[in-house]
Amino acid sequence: MSAMGRILALAIVLTLAAAVAHGQDRSPAPAAAPGADPLIGQQIFTNLCGFCHQDGGRVAGRGPRLAGTDRPDDYILNRIRVGKEGAMPAYARAFSDVQLRSLIAYIRSLKDEGR
Amino acid sequence: MTTQRRVIYLVGLAMTAIVAGACSMSTSDTGTTRAAMAEPGGGNDWTTYHGTYQSWHYSPLTQINTDNVKRLRVAWVHHPGRSTRGLQSTPLVSNGVLYYTGSYSRVWAIDAATGTPLWSYFPKLNDDLVAAQTHSPYTRGIALGHGKVFVGTVDGRLIAIDQKTGQPAWDTKLINSEKLTVGFTGAPLLVKDKVIIGAQGGEWPGRGPIFGVDAASGRKAWEFITVAGTPEAMKTWGGDSWRTGGGGGWMAGGYDVETNTVWWGTGNPAPLYDWAGSDWKTAGPRPGDNLYTTSVIALDPDTGKLKFYHQELPHDAWDFDSAVGEFVMIDRGGQKLVVHPNKGGHVFVYDRKDAKIVNVWPLVQNINFVKGIDPKTGALIGRRDMALGKHTNLCPAIAGGMSWNSGAYSPKTGLYYKIGQEWCMDLEVVKTTPVLEPQAQLNIGANFTLRNPEGGKAYGHVSGRDPVTGQKKWEVKFTEPPLASLLATGGNLVFVPDARGWLRAYNAETGQELWSHNNGLGHNGGIISYSAKGKQYIAVATGWGSLVGDEFGALFGEPFKSMPKDSGALVVFTLE
Repeated sequence: MSAMGRILALAIVLTLAAAVAHGQDRSPAPAAAPGADPLIGQQIFTNLCGFCHQDGGRVAGRGPRLAGTDRPDDYILNRIRVGKEGAMPAYARAFSDVQLRSLIAYIRSLKDEGR
Repeated sequence: MTTQRRVIYLVGLAMTAIVAGACSMSTSDTGTTRAAMAEPGGGNDWTTYHGTYQSWHYSPLTQINTDNVKRLRVAWVHHPGRSTRGLQSTPLVSNGVLYYTGSYSRVWAIDAATGTPLWSYFPKLNDDLVAAQTHSPYTRGIALGHGKVFVGTVDGRLIAIDQKTGQPAWDTKLINSEKLTVGFTGAPLLVKDKVIIGAQGGEWPGRGPIFGVDAASGRKAWEFITVAGTPEAMKTWGGDSWRTGGGGGWMAGGYDVETNTVWWGTGNPAPLYDWAGSDWKTAGPRPGDNLYTTSVIALDPDTGKLKFYHQELPHDAWDFDSAVGEFVMIDRGGQKLVVHPNKGGHVFVYDRKDAKIVNVWPLVQNINFVKGIDPKTGALIGRRDMALGKHTNLCPAIAGGMSWNSGAYSPKTGLYYKIGQEWCMDLEVVKTTPVLEPQAQLNIGANFTLRNPEGGKAYGHVSGRDPVTGQKKWEVKFTEPPLASLLATGGNLVFVPDARGWLRAYNAETGQELWSHNNGLGHNGGIISYSAKGKQYIAVATGWGSLVGDEFGALFGEPFKSMPKDSGALVVFTLE
């Protein structure tokens, strides 16, 4: 293999490794989570989350805007489960894993309109 | 009858009641109860949440007055620590000792003259439950009497603490908060030998009980259910909607000594918004009037039996509840009246004997959930009931034209001082289903966004008005609504703790600002005045982070975006 070929091969390997590493930072896509349904998530959201995350999570209110959030799924999932003292209740007992992942699917379905 | 004669008359009535009831009271009880009943503002003390049973939030003390208030300085400060969601409580004072509670129902007794702590009591709470609650962990007040301090907890208990030692006397579990998620955040009200406290409710799918508890033993004496608690009320809930109707009564009410009647305001029904639109009498998630939500109810404090009521907003579809706790009792032209503000922005004036409407007047300008309220009957005119889908510019916003903190009334000026909130919101009403298992959850029924009123910016105001007619004598505007209680004094002053952290004193007659001091943190709790060792003091709670205050960052920007929500202190002033 020529020097140029070795450099090209190394570049390909590094690119693939970076892609894998990036993928490991993210949770599986919500659509891949078994049973996750953004419509179920939407109803749960309107029941209770919308009390703070206004316009269905599209704008900031008592809680932050969720549309377009760059937080990874696992971060959001953990925040929903554990809450934040004095700011957000903990919902670990309240909802099943499928319901929680449906909430994430709903949040991911929100169009980021920059509001 | 002149104001002075009215006061003497009230005192006379109250003293008669005390003598009549004295045989049922312990020695330690009489001092505190007498002050709460008989002396406007408690004289030197401040022994019940609203200052007196008449809900005046008025101290007759005159040492601090319009002439010398400019010499007001900080006397002492107390930091309770762990002020999650700020310090929202109102302190009480009896015989030179100040008692108050912070978040997590932590109770302090402090030398009222020096600020020296005497004891503290931190109840052990169910931490998992506290973490799972939305309306938590703040506690808005206590009650005093029978030698005890009474405090509710967010995990559903009422606790009595020995007033001298700080040791618990009894601890009674009243609500299955682990299941219902709600508990107690409001102050109890002590009436004779009963401690009365109401549970949270509103958008929570329960039935919002109010309890009467024996002050000596902690035994539950009675329970009044605010959702379908009588056969008459049950008929006002379609289907099984009464099972998850909300209600509650989360602020301390008032007590009419003369008729032995407790007045209490109740919370809104659940779900908070209703998709039935104009068909709400027969359709939607809770068809009917939904008694006794968004109502004022009159209870017998001995039995908990309902005497009479008025539902301020039949089938409340806007979260404009009646839980505001102040019931300002005044006499006017031979009539015995009670004045009660509703969250929707109207002030209701009732006859104290039967809750018949005497007048209804609007305190805020931005109201369009109704076209009006009939001042003779209280009937809603031109309701804006919202069907499924999007709606714009509903006024006031969900945070209300008035919030839960109290105004003040001065018998000297005859004026009622009250905060008004001018803001609106857009919303989309969406069908929801109550979540009850394994733990009840909020049932909102809409997505919403707070916004400025059309043609202007959101703001707040404090006005001095005739409490019966609403006629305005003066008004001061604020760039954001203050969210704390007000205080009127015999020194002809009105104190307004504002959202930015400024405490201001105004001439009660004219509204002229006479003094201000920056406490460095928004106010969202109570303010009182008392005398200890011959000096008059003003004590105010500082600390930001209530659910209404949480809206301020998005709506008003700084300083609220940067204001901490885990701090708070009790700041006490006197003349230098």
